[in-house]
Amino acid sequence: MLRPVIAALLSALGISVLLWLVSRALLGYGTRDSSLSQLSAREAAFLGAAADAVFPPGGTPALSGVEAGAVRHIDRWLALMTRRNRVLIRLLVVFFEHVTLLFPAPGRGGRRRFSSLSLPQRSELLEGWEHSPLRLRRLVFASLRTILTSSYFASPDVLRELGLAPLALESPVVAADLLFPRVGQPRSSIRWTAEDLARPVPRTPLDPRGPLHPDYRGPRAAGTLAEDRA
Amino acid sequence: MSGSVGVFADYTGPVTDRADVVVVGSGPCGAVAAYELARAGKDVVLVEEGPPFTPADFELDGPISMARTMREGGLRFTTGFVMPTMQVIALGGGSLVNSAICGRCPEFRLQEWAEAADLDHTSRRGLEPHYDAIAEFLGIAPTPDDVQGPRNLLFRDGCKSLGWTSEPCSRNVVGCRGSGECFTGCRARAKQSMDISYVPAAIRAGARVYTSVQVQRVLASGRRVTGIEGRLVAPFTGAPGAAVRIEAKAVVLAAGVLATPLLLQRSGDLANASKQVGENVQFHPGTSVMGVFPDAVDAVFGATQGYQCLEFLRDGFKLETLWAPPSVLAVRMPGVGLGFKRKLLDMQRAAIWDAIASCKRSLGSVRERGRSQQPAVRWRFHPEDAQILARAVWALTQIFFAAGAERVLPGVAGLPDEMHSLDEARVLERRPARAGDLVVASTHVFGSTRMHGDPSCGVVDEDCKTHDLDNLYVVDTGVFPMSPAVNPMFTGMALARRAALALAGRV
Repeated sequence: MLRPVIAALLSALGISVLLWLVSRALLGYGTRDSSLSQLSAREAAFLGAAADAVFPPGGTPALSGVEAGAVRHIDRWLALMTRRNRVLIRLLVVFFEHVTLLFPAPGRGGRRRFSSLSLPQRSELLEGWEHSPLRLRRLVFASLRTILTSSYFASPDVLRELGLAPLALESPVVAADLLFPRVGQPRSSIRWTAEDLARPVPRTPLDPRGPLHPDYRGPRAAGTLAEDRA
Repeated sequence: MSGSVGVFADYTGPVTDRADVVVVGSGPCGAVAAYELARAGKDVVLVEEGPPFTPADFELDGPISMARTMREGGLRFTTGFVMPTMQVIALGGGSLVNSAICGRCPEFRLQEWAEAADLDHTSRRGLEPHYDAIAEFLGIAPTPDDVQGPRNLLFRDGCKSLGWTSEPCSRNVVGCRGSGECFTGCRARAKQSMDISYVPAAIRAGARVYTSVQVQRVLASGRRVTGIEGRLVAPFTGAPGAAVRIEAKAVVLAAGVLATPLLLQRSGDLANASKQVGENVQFHPGTSVMGVFPDAVDAVFGATQGYQCLEFLRDGFKLETLWAPPSVLAVRMPGVGLGFKRKLLDMQRAAIWDAIASCKRSLGSVRERGRSQQPAVRWRFHPEDAQILARAVWALTQIFFAAGAERVLPGVAGLPDEMHSLDEARVLERRPARAGDLVVASTHVFGSTRMHGDPSCGVVDEDCKTHDLDNLYVVDTGVFPMSPAVNPMFTGMALARRAALALAGRV
């Protein structure tokens, strides 16, 4: 008599646990940002949470990872990847987003997906991976941080604040410019002529305090450079 | 006589052509070979899988630039020991985005080549005329002081304080302005990359250049090759287009150390009686050390790699300065969170110097990954070679402190992120580093179609002709029997020139 009741209770418990796990893992990501061509809502949520853990709001540089447009930059970068690499990067994202369900982050409520953790928990978790005695773990972390860091540095505002924005530089016309068009364009699009070759070529060293590259001069809203180019 | 150029947007259907020689790959070695053959009056076709890039196509953003110019988006890596390795897909090959260092292979290493690979005339004296001709053509010269910038000159000063020799890097650069943008394409058009030097010269000499052509097979019959076939591929996406077939009296492969063996394997295991095609893969694994100085070092100004120390070549490593897009260099800084952001401010006062190691014991192999036309590279970082690189890290650290750095970030796992004095850093000297403790990457590759006097031990002879076929040549750095101890481009070009002149007399 008791056996069916116990079986029913255990089944209900199992289903509840499963639902809890599914809800923790997959639900509640909100709607997908339509301006992103590659990233799903879950991927964007994770990358935003991770970018802000590595580059939190406040301090100097002033912008956080998200404010610097890191997620939008990763989306653009991902579009240039091969299918195989896109899959590998997505696996990396899924892995980090959900690894805390198995190996919880430090502190209370650590058994939640990465993007639901508090900022200090996320930072502490990543520090643990960075200094892991296991090379594989360090490599996985380094892969993630490389993606986030390089995307943070894509922001002209960040580069300007750090004094690392590229300098203005004129490209002289050389003989090859009469042979090769821009990538994707036909040769008929080449507008240079032999007369352009006669213009004097600047050969003096750049002035480190000279004007910046036009794309890096004024303050810009996060991500707009990538939008412009897209 | 003037040749022609084919770009993806201009192709209207299948491409067929016939020539005396078809050269596969427009990197430094292929471009030199194509030019010399065309100059010798041969009818030459040069095919390249990548597109030509103009300054308007250059991206200053490091990851985006890498994704556009490098194979597999710049995310290629070895297995066995996981190490990133980068190969370029563009007209001009690696020369488009390398730092233009042109070092002649030292005599002692060429002697080792000769002994190990039964070579008769691959000596420094034998190669000197080829080095000289290329140097004159490209304007190769030591980097002038006025474009070195502080981060290069500090290296010089540090070496001098230690009593170590150092010298400005000789580069194929004319009129450098010190933008430090070699790795994303030289906006100043000062770097004489192949797309603006040898390839246009080959076209002026009559060569026909087809870009966006992926060669899939070398056609052969008995002991002779008859041409190549492949297909057009769209820039960046690699979307396949119409078929390509070039018939030729001789074929010169310069597709790169990781691509040429795949092409031979895919063509019915051509030129592989020795079973050495795709074997003996060697790298120059490199690692970098960062030092922070008390004062700003004008980070954005200065030649990308302007100074080097050759003091330790016989010990197996070379030291040099380094600059790259900040987005790439920042990856080198440790930490996360606000502390990490604070550290980024140090980049204005930071210099990064690197070491490359000649690894004689660390060997690998390359095969096609499934039917992807991409290489699966298996490579093992031998513990003794890792020790050499660890010694190089210690040497770089000494140069930093001798140059006045206030702290050094050696980037060795298991050790403190930062070291504030030479005494504190002595742990680098005492503690044997394991391969896995070092963060390494490599762009210099050799050996996958190695040169050997004995046909049973190598793929090509000293003229870079394959032992098994009468008219098939390989001229990329895959023919090196082992590391050249210094940056490989110049020696690869010298060997390619020698091979082209020999072939010109035969075809």
